[in-house]
Amino acid sequence: MNEGEVHEMIPAYLAGELSEEEARKVERAIEGSERLRRELERYERLFVLLSAAASQEIDPPRDLEMRIRSQVAMRVYLKAAFELADGLLGTYGRALVYYLGLS
Amino acid sequence: MSDAALVARTLSGDRKAFTRLLRRHEGSVYRVCYRILGDREDAKDATQEAFIRAYERLESFEGRSAFRTWLLRVAVNVSLNMSKKNRRESARELPPERLLGADPEPGPEQSAVSSERLEQLHRALYHLEDNHRAAVVLRDLEGLSYAEISQVLDVAEGTARVWAFRGRAKLKEILTS
Repeated sequence: MNEGEVHEMIPAYLAGELSEEEARKVERAIEGSERLRRELERYERLFVLLSAAASQEIDPPRDLEMRIRSQVAMRVYLKAAFELADGLLGTYGRALVYYLGLS
Repeated sequence: MSDAALVARTLSGDRKAFTRLLRRHEGSVYRVCYRILGDREDAKDATQEAFIRAYERLESFEGRSAFRTWLLRVAVNVSLNMSKKNRRESARELPPERLLGADPEPGPEQSAVSSERLEQLHRALYHLEDNHRAAVVLRDLEGLSYAEISQVLDVAEGTARVWAFRGRAKLKEILTS
């Protein structure tokens, strides 16, 4: 495995995505290369940051659920109105729904 | 009750079942939208749009993947479309070099990451290509497996790995010196 290949495997190594054999090869290559060690350190700092961001609490706004529920309810009623108009008046009913801007 | 059962009940006209799905997944959908878009108001709109689309297209959910994976796919598509629109309409991005703050030396003190550094990360994410950003968000922030990411992004697993690699490499360039 050449240095370029190892270089590309460093993030996967730090993320625990390599097999044991691959990880050992990466570790051996890093021991013998100052350049790879520097790359490892930079990725380590990035992963610390990513890990901290992953554990950040990001909660949806309180009113979001209600907003979505009312939007869904409106779609349901409009769909029912459209189907009713379609059933009662056929093409003219559909046109009326479009005309009134309900669809 | 499982997601699949709630989907079936929703399709039979039980709207309360959809409310349960909404409550169960609202948090993760909002988080993914926020992390892709980097703005709370946009994330709110994207989450709303994702759930409405999911409701309207629920019949197309065939159960080949988990409901959460299918829903995240809808949410990621909505967010990426919104992100493209935002890019066209605004120039809110800072050049990458402006994101480079004081990069602390590696050490145990790094476990306490400042909120400023986290803000830099969120802004740096915005400089990634859309697919790369989505892959990093799903893998490194949401903890999905590559198999799940490939389903969410509708690409081969190998492609998902390459996108995550490229996203991480760009973040490293922007955020570490």
